[in-house]
Amino acid sequence: MCDVILEAPNRPQTENNTKFIPAVMDLSPFETDNSVSCRLASQIPEVCRTEDCCLGIDEAGRGPVLGPMVYGICFCPVSKKEELKESKVADSKTLTEAERENLFQKLDEAKSYIGWALQILSPNTISTSMLQRTKYNLNALSHDTAIGLVQYALDSGVQLTEVFVDTVGPAEKYEEKLSKLFPGIKVTVRPKADSLFPIVSAASICAKVARDRVVKGWNFAEDLGEVDTDYGSGYPNDPKTKAWLLKYLDPVFGYPQFVRFSWSTAQTLMESKGVTVHWDDDEEVGEKAAQRQNNRSMLAYFSASAGGNNQNPTHQTHRFFTERRLKSLDTL
Amino acid sequence: MATKKKRTPHVNNDSWVVIAADSAIHIQKHDSDPAFVRLRNPATDVASLYMLSSGDAQLFEVKAFEEDFHSWFVGQTVQRDGRLLFLTPMDPLYLILPYLIKSGREGKFQPVDQVVMDEEFPACSRLLSCTRSLASLHHIAEEKEVGSLKFHRYSEEKTMNWLKKKVERTVTALKARSISVGEGVKSTTYVRMKSESDYCEEDYLRYAHGLISEYLSEDLSKALLNHLQLPELTSPKETEPPSKKRKLSDKPVEAGDDYTKFNSADFARKPPKKMTAAQKSLAKVDKTGMKTMSSFFSPKVKAEK
Repeated sequence: MCDVILEAPNRPQTENNTKFIPAVMDLSPFETDNSVSCRLASQIPEVCRTEDCCLGIDEAGRGPVLGPMVYGICFCPVSKKEELKESKVADSKTLTEAERENLFQKLDEAKSYIGWALQILSPNTISTSMLQRTKYNLNALSHDTAIGLVQYALDSGVQLTEVFVDTVGPAEKYEEKLSKLFPGIKVTVRPKADSLFPIVSAASICAKVARDRVVKGWNFAEDLGEVDTDYGSGYPNDPKTKAWLLKYLDPVFGYPQFVRFSWSTAQTLMESKGVTVHWDDDEEVGEKAAQRQNNRSMLAYFSASAGGNNQNPTHQTHRFFTERRLKSLDTL
Repeated sequence: MATKKKRTPHVNNDSWVVIAADSAIHIQKHDSDPAFVRLRNPATDVASLYMLSSGDAQLFEVKAFEEDFHSWFVGQTVQRDGRLLFLTPMDPLYLILPYLIKSGREGKFQPVDQVVMDEEFPACSRLLSCTRSLASLHHIAEEKEVGSLKFHRYSEEKTMNWLKKKVERTVTALKARSISVGEGVKSTTYVRMKSESDYCEEDYLRYAHGLISEYLSEDLSKALLNHLQLPELTSPKETEPPSKKRKLSDKPVEAGDDYTKFNSADFARKPPKKMTAAQKSLAKVDKTGMKTMSSFFSPKVKAEK
């Protein structure tokens, strides 16, 4: 709960962390350092550089208190939309894990015309973004990640004409924002886009498969010994997840980086069971601040009567010392 | 997010993070350990913490850096207070001085070990064991030797000269360290664009006097100010401009007062809305044939032809 949060947030990067994977998803770039944001991508099919393409965006792991949030894009030529429909990709939430793996295999087999890219936002990235001094909320983080991925596709030479997005926040505003950023591309933002547009379903499958694999094989950076991996779904209301969070709560440090510190579930547990930590940007308005100051002067009063610590009130310490926060002591 | 944090009172630690010179913690053979001692602070006249090195050879003052929201990670433990203690060498004469002044009022020469005594702070006699103490007593006292015994009597003149030297040496140190001594500067991290030469000598002297006064009684501090021929500042706070807060907004800046009304022709003719009783009675006076006051001061109007 300390130095971890002080780190600068890892904003999505566009240049680095891109790895071309020939066959199946290779998660090693993320797994070597799972504290940052990482991009994985398939090879760009040649046909996507020459023909008009459509692109779908979806995310997996927005709600859980554990593990990363994964953003996925999937793109293919507009002319291949029908073929994609026939492969029966569907909203990843309606599928079992095996079905998803199966469909991802199918997408991989169609790599001559289907491409994908993923941005894995580590739980640490999410925590540090949301808890930094100037708050960077989950919606802004989601939007920026989606924008980064679309830009990646454009930078790779994919001839985008249509983009389909599942909504984050109000659909109209988001659509307007994206349209402005990518003039010349028709942007469609819809709730439940993952069940309406096959290309969004495909993106959701890529994202969900990546998240499942990362969560299953999470490499704990912390020295926790044999970690109990039975943490359930990772959603705050899952009793297994709650039990796991209770078990792995360290009174001083809170949680391993696997946990999103910015989730109220984690925060409530840390506040009730952990050591209290004060930051100088803690919100402390009016009454509370006054209360604290009262507390302090009360304490000073008590220690004075106990240890004879009555500093001469007329003596004013020279500013050389006050400016440097230096003071004399009368006891240790 | 709701913050339901309760601040627990500070608990005294049994360990501290200290920065000290090697000489402060070095233990000489067969001698005692360095020890924290409570002594009478010459400026506040109450207890402050000091340290005497092994064998009482050297005196150190203890200063604590303390700021909100700091903690230490020490090895595998967390220390709640982010306090950093500094042990810095200090001239023991500053602590001996008040005792000499007190006995000096009797005007008698006395052995110092009978002078430097304090029921409240018995450790004060150990100050005389410091290497520098006895050898430098002549800076603040007259000495007389009778046989093998030495007697001392406080001398204000000597003390003032000694303190003046201290101030001058502090000025040198302040300049060498580029410490900003100007009146307006409050932040130590603020990088000044002005060069050192922009401070006048008096700024340095006052600053150094203030620093030395941290180790002197109020009376002595005032006497030193006289000796340095620095006039006492009456109220430095009045020289500060009043703090003005302006609300930030996106709107264009507008003048607070409308001065254009003074330009309009009818401004001058409008009688003031509220007049005092005296003004009212004056206004009722018959002014026919009287010249206006201003006509006496304006350039002479050419006589009509």
